[in-house]
Amino acid sequence: MSRELHIVGFQVGRETYGVPITSLHEIVRVPEITAVPDAPDYLEGVINLRGKIVSVMDLRKRFGEKQASVKRNNRILVVEHAGRLAGLIVDSASEVLKIPADAVEAPPAVFQEGGLNCVTGLGKVSGRLIVLLDMSKLLAPASLVSKGESEDKKTAAKAGAR
Amino acid sequence: MTNSPDERGAELRELFYETSQELVQALNEEALKLEKDPGDEEIVRSIRRTVHTLKGDSAACGLRELSELAHQFEDALSLESAASHAAVAEIAFATADIFSEMIAAYHSGTKLPATKTLSKKIQELTAAPKNGKTRGKKTAGKTAKSKEPAEKASLGKSSSKAADQWTEYERLAMSKAQASGQDVLHVVTKIDPHCAMPIAGRQLVHNAIGTMGPVIAVRPDAKSPAAAKFIEFVVATVQTPEQIAAKCKIPTIVEEVTVEVLLRASAAPQPAALEASTEINEPDTPAASDTAAPEQSAVATLPAGSVPMQQENLLRVEAGRIDNVLNLVGELIIGKSMLQQALNEFSKRFPKEALRGKFADAMAFQARVLNDLQRSVMKIRMVPVDQLFRRFPRMVRDVARQCGREVELSVSGQDTDLDKGILDAIAEPLTHLVRNAISHGIESPEERRKLGKPGQGIVRLNAYHQGNQVIVEVTDDGRGIDVAKIRTKAFELGLTTPEEASKMSELEALNFIFRPGFSTAEQVTEVSGRGVGMDVVQSVLHRLKASISVDTRLGQGTTFRLKLPLTLAIIKALLFWVEQRLYAIPLNAVLEIARTFEAEVHQVDNYEVLQLRNQVLPLLRLGRPAPERDVKTKLFVLIITVSEKKYGLIVDGLEGEEELVIKALDDQTFSTDLVSGASILGDGRVVLILNLPAVVEHVARLRPQEMGHANSGLLLTHTDRMRLALTPEVGGQV
Repeated sequence: MSRELHIVGFQVGRETYGVPITSLHEIVRVPEITAVPDAPDYLEGVINLRGKIVSVMDLRKRFGEKQASVKRNNRILVVEHAGRLAGLIVDSASEVLKIPADAVEAPPAVFQEGGLNCVTGLGKVSGRLIVLLDMSKLLAPASLVSKGESEDKKTAAKAGAR
Repeated sequence: MTNSPDERGAELRELFYETSQELVQALNEEALKLEKDPGDEEIVRSIRRTVHTLKGDSAACGLRELSELAHQFEDALSLESAASHAAVAEIAFATADIFSEMIAAYHSGTKLPATKTLSKKIQELTAAPKNGKTRGKKTAGKTAKSKEPAEKASLGKSSSKAADQWTEYERLAMSKAQASGQDVLHVVTKIDPHCAMPIAGRQLVHNAIGTMGPVIAVRPDAKSPAAAKFIEFVVATVQTPEQIAAKCKIPTIVEEVTVEVLLRASAAPQPAALEASTEINEPDTPAASDTAAPEQSAVATLPAGSVPMQQENLLRVEAGRIDNVLNLVGELIIGKSMLQQALNEFSKRFPKEALRGKFADAMAFQARVLNDLQRSVMKIRMVPVDQLFRRFPRMVRDVARQCGREVELSVSGQDTDLDKGILDAIAEPLTHLVRNAISHGIESPEERRKLGKPGQGIVRLNAYHQGNQVIVEVTDDGRGIDVAKIRTKAFELGLTTPEEASKMSELEALNFIFRPGFSTAEQVTEVSGRGVGMDVVQSVLHRLKASISVDTRLGQGTTFRLKLPLTLAIIKALLFWVEQRLYAIPLNAVLEIARTFEAEVHQVDNYEVLQLRNQVLPLLRLGRPAPERDVKTKLFVLIITVSEKKYGLIVDGLEGEEELVIKALDDQTFSTDLVSGASILGDGRVVLILNLPAVVEHVARLRPQEMGHANSGLLLTHTDRMRLALTPEVGGQV
């Protein structure tokens, strides 16, 4: 009698990640993205989602991939969190997975810091490992700001050093 | 009125909370008048009318404490001796404050403020023996002229006491019911003294009467001790008095019922009475005032201001609903540009198609209607500035007293309309400005006389339209701002160097007063001097995309001028390209668009500047930094003004002018302040609206030695920088 988690699985790089299906609003093709100046580089910009302005984050950059290439099957996962919409660019979004709640393990401690502090657990489905993401941490302004700032500092320091 | 009594009560209360604000405001205004003209009986009467209305309304809502206090004050005022007492104005102010506190307390369900001191003051007022001619409030009364006594006589003994307590609102309801062909009946039910649960019984009777027609008034209040003894109703109905009596006579609860006709359905002999009494009373009062105390009954009959009358044509609508409509109109405008775009493409593809004309006609028609729609919806949100200005007389008086100044407030342009949201937002900044004007601007009366000015200073509030903006001015005729003092202070605070300070223009120096923590006041007082105020002003105005300018003459006074947008939702914007991306800035910030060559751009102190006619403007390159001195490159320069200073923005190309519906960016995600919002164009493209003060500030924050190429590349993203392979120096200066 174990509960099942319904998860939308998507690929970023070689890994499969998952977010709860309840937080998914829709999946769209990548439209024209308007870049916002002075924002962290993993924030791609904003898109027009049928008259709504939605900010878009490139998960590939967020998870540390340097050169994210634009491919035809790239998608934007529009997720709803705390009443607002946000877009996540992923390599491809494929499936809905049902993971028994007892097949989810807590994330290893190394994930608690850095860019991956948004991992809530690791789910196992037929031998595959799904990295489950926590929306609130992923989209939390605090983590974004601190990351953006540290980056700014880094570049500033670099500039100062030269 | 078919709702259950509970629901109706809640509705009534909501209405009361709103109208009572107006009444308290009116009370404040009258008290101010009285202070200027002490002993004016007409004003005292008008105060009493206001208090009376407040009493009636609060009693109807079951707010006992408030109605009791109002009653007490009203009673006190009805005494001739009290009315001419010098302290009346003072007490009226105090009462107004307590009233508004009480209303707030009722509203939020918190503890009521203490009223003991106030009631004591009021009692003193009553007790003050002036000429011993104290008259009871019901002694006077020109029976022939006021309606109330006549009514009393016709109603008989039991009802006489309460009959003069119908409020204006109830009276209005009565005459309306009468006009609509219903009899207005006065029903007095005596509750059986042996009844076990008189209050429950009361509710039963109320419900029974409610089935016969709308109940206009109920007396006494459910919470008052008399409630268990008798109940009076005023009910509008088409039933006969006998039917009502039968309905009300509930065994074991009601002992006795008397039903009288107050007003016969129209064409009855009395209908004019309500109006007539007011008319007759009004001219009569001045003559009567010196001999007789103003009649209680007359007061009840006089309309308190025009408030209840206006309610007829006023709708109180939640602001959120209007915003919804405005949002939808915004979507429609986007839709319109989409259609226009499609039509253009269609025309291009089928230039000979006859349908084109039809489409164009329909489009033009739709555009016109849409324009009207947008304007009407925006008008709904518009309110006269008076709503804000009328709070000031009281405040000016209090602050002037605290600071020991004599100040006259002169207000003009109250009819100027402004978006409600903006109006609410500028309330605080405006308060700061007026306070500053009194405490910093206006000198003490002695000082003023020494300078040959009249002892009473003037603070002027003015509002007017200018193009697509509304200007609100706060002017004082005080000492003006000493720019030299600001320069020294700025230097003391380490905000600038002496050389810089001396080079600075007057306007630039004046801008220091908007810095947080900057105050030239020698001492911190209760009202001002902490240097926080102007900072608040500035930050609010930034948020509103508004600007402020200062105009000061030493010894002659200062003017603060707020330039506000007409609305927050839609702006006229200029669209331009930077690095293949579209941006917009508010059109009203653009002075002109210049075309120039790279050769015209000069370097001064690491700043790039442009000489335009006889002015030298600092330049901001929004896109990539200057290429290797290709002097022939043509440049577009937008000349903009930000807080009275001019800048040139170098952009790659121009797109045009468009009306943009502003949508907020998700500022939780984007920490940038360079962008104040976004909008969607007809073809679905997203355009970012730049926040000009922040853009300019980004550059101004950097000291010249750090500048380098820093005044370029503001709008480049990380990817752009990588693509352009910029030197790290430039990359670091974001």
